[in-house]
Amino acid sequence: MEKLKKGLTIFAFFFKIGCFTFGGGWAILAQMEQEFVNKRQVITKAELLEMVAVGKSCPGIMITNISLLFGYHVAGVFGALCAVFGIIGPAVIILTIVAQFYNAFKDSYWVHAALVGIRAAVVPIIGSAALSLGKDALSTPPAIAICAVAFCLSLFMGISNIILVLLGVACALVWWFIRRQKQETALPEERKEA
Amino acid sequence: MIYLQLFVSFMKIGFTSFGGMSMVPLILEEMSSHGWMTAEDLANLVAIAEMTPGPLGINCATFTGMQTAGFPGSVVAVLGVLMPAFTLTMVIAIFFEKCKNSSVMRSIMYFVKPICIAMILGVIVTLGSETYFSGRSVQIWSAGIAALMLYLLIKRKWSVPAVIISSALLGMFFYGLLPLII
Repeated sequence: MEKLKKGLTIFAFFFKIGCFTFGGGWAILAQMEQEFVNKRQVITKAELLEMVAVGKSCPGIMITNISLLFGYHVAGVFGALCAVFGIIGPAVIILTIVAQFYNAFKDSYWVHAALVGIRAAVVPIIGSAALSLGKDALSTPPAIAICAVAFCLSLFMGISNIILVLLGVACALVWWFIRRQKQETALPEERKEA
Repeated sequence: MIYLQLFVSFMKIGFTSFGGMSMVPLILEEMSSHGWMTAEDLANLVAIAEMTPGPLGINCATFTGMQTAGFPGSVVAVLGVLMPAFTLTMVIAIFFEKCKNSSVMRSIMYFVKPICIAMILGVIVTLGSETYFSGRSVQIWSAGIAALMLYLLIKRKWSVPAVIISSALLGMFFYGLLPLII
């Protein structure tokens, strides 16, 4: 019973988030941060960013992957399913209706005007999430350097996100191996704290 | 068996793509090989998917399913496109929860998290240049809406739904009503 209640709560939250996820999915980040990190404190900023990193690296749709990871973290497999069905619910319902009379919808003057406005808001929404998550993730100089290198590689050399993540994992493994040889186990951030 | 075909097609699309626009060529290939859709239909579909909330992949699956086999068709297509999430990502989620505190995993995350921020910055740059600039001119109203929303989000702690709804209203005013008056 407790489990069912938890699942339904997750479903309801993701359904709400699904209603307002415009512009390629990254807006989900800002919403999850507002809802789960700031308001309810279910997860930390670092955990959210880890979910995004893993979700982006798995095949399929990033948003549903992130929802699934969150749902599983909070309430196991049942929670994962509730989160996925919640996030896709609004899209399925709206598209089912739109498919019926899509010509009228496609050419509507007012719908277009509203969408130009929504599109203008997508960058600030993603930006606000980047700002607050960035503060957390870029707290040490090496992290800032990694971010800068990755940003330049993707922007100027057109290297895709997946390759970037794989490169990062490769570097991390080499780094981990070297540190293990030297018998160091703490990460820079932890050393700073200690 | 149209339902099985839809399911298998969208499962293939799901497993071989990483979401967003990267799915479009794969969807086109599957759609035209079955004769379900032309390139023009797909272009319209992408336009509609951009107008409605939710991930592109889910929107495409729902719409295609509806068009080819009605509502049951859209259900199987959506389940198909979700298969990577239900199998691979589920396994990864279980694995990740188990060993996210191991030293290897923490090292990986130490590298991957800043890369993630870099990806988000990349998205901001690309989306921003598409949204606020057309050719050499600046879209003044769009940029204005963006500046206002950034202020409301960060300083006034507005929620995302509130920001989406108010920017839709501002869009209707500046891009709908204003051209009609002037």
